Amino acid sequence: MQQSKYDIICDSKSPEHEFYNEAYVLLEGAIIEVLSRLDIIRKYRAIKNYKDPIEHCKARIKSADSMKEKLRSRKLDVTVDNALTEIYDAAGIRVVCTFLDDIYWVVDMLKNQQDIQVIDEKDYIRHPKTNGYRSYHMILKVPIHLEDGIHMVFCELQIRTIAMDCWASLEHQLKYKKSIPNQEMIVGELKGCADEIASTDLNFQAIWDMIEEIQLNWED
Amino acid sequence: MRILLAEDEKEMSNALVAILKHNNYSVDAVYNGADALDYGLSENYDVIILDIMMPKMNGIEVLEKLRLNGIHTPILMLTAKSQIEDRIHGLDKGADDYLSKPFAMGELLARIRAMSRRRSEFTPNLIKVGNISLNKENYELSSDNASLRLGNKEFQMMEMLMTNPKRLISTEQFMERIWGYDAEAEINVVWVYISYLRRKLESLDANIKIKAVRGAGYSLEEGE
Repeated sequence: MQQSKYDIICDSKSPEHEFYNEAYVLLEGAIIEVLSRLDIIRKYRAIKNYKDPIEHCKARIKSADSMKEKLRSRKLDVTVDNALTEIYDAAGIRVVCTFLDDIYWVVDMLKNQQDIQVIDEKDYIRHPKTNGYRSYHMILKVPIHLEDGIHMVFCELQIRTIAMDCWASLEHQLKYKKSIPNQEMIVGELKGCADEIASTDLNFQAIWDMIEEIQLNWED
Repeated sequence: MRILLAEDEKEMSNALVAILKHNNYSVDAVYNGADALDYGLSENYDVIILDIMMPKMNGIEVLEKLRLNGIHTPILMLTAKSQIEDRIHGLDKGADDYLSKPFAMGELLARIRAMSRRRSEFTPNLIKVGNISLNKENYELSSDNASLRLGNKEFQMMEMLMTNPKRLISTEQFMERIWGYDAEAEINVVWVYISYLRRKLESLDANIKIKAVRGAGYSLEEGE
């Protein structure tokens, strides 16, 4: 398989290729499409000496195993067709931003792209999950041009700050350590960490805003 | 909340200061009775913790002199297990509570909370203004949707604002109460912390906000 310049986690002779078959190209295409749009805007901002709102991006195609499991749990037939039309996160991108406001900048920018459809969005930053998880989720439909026409492909985006990403990664590792007692206490502590991190994120934003304001006043 | 801690054993004092600060109190530590009296007379504290055995002046004398000077700040005495007379004596001379060494940190914290509640009218551990509540036990600022955990100084500032809604609090008052007299911090720091809190209220979709009164200070106001 040709190596794409975008780092998508998946082996060429993987069960994913076998399962998704030619649809794999569509999923990969959707990821490349969104990532390259973000890239171009970042490059343009860099030339104009604007701040880069994105720290890094990460993408993945849902593994064949977990896709099959998800289809079964939804009582759907295990087919590629269902995987692409009934499940929305076969293609997934995580956008890690520098500051809180950058998240909303990314969201607005994607909403303004005329040929991308926003199917659903959930603001888990203003409305965190009960465990403390924070991120902005978007389900997009991205146009992929093939020789027979345009295919609209679902793609799930998780947009968060570096700090939220840090919490989510660590929480993910800790929550599967099920064999220990005091599970409830651990869950509570992790939520406390999330609330502390959220607090720090807001301080970072406030500090950034202050610096901006001071610089503006200097220039006047 | 500002606490004066008079304890002459340096290590013990350092440990207490660290834990109290971790629990979002501002602490001034002194190591002898004479300093305890000087600091205590400033009336700048919400709670005073006095060890009994101290150089220059013992804790009971300090307590007596403070009360004679009309200082009504709640005072907690730290006594050794055997000194039953000291406890009786201390309580009779105007101490509000005592704790015998060694003690569990959790108990000291609970006693400090209890004493600060007793001060003037009862103030609960949860303060609510508008759709926002502040939990004094876990330092959480929350609305129905989300909660945030505040840092030490942010918490104290929010506590001052929420216990006195609509009342103007001057920048100097914040400075004195939270950073203390001999702080090296610049007065601008108050504005920085106000910015933090404003951001937090906004992110919680609060229907209260911190209003600035130019040159005078800040007040917590309800509504948009």
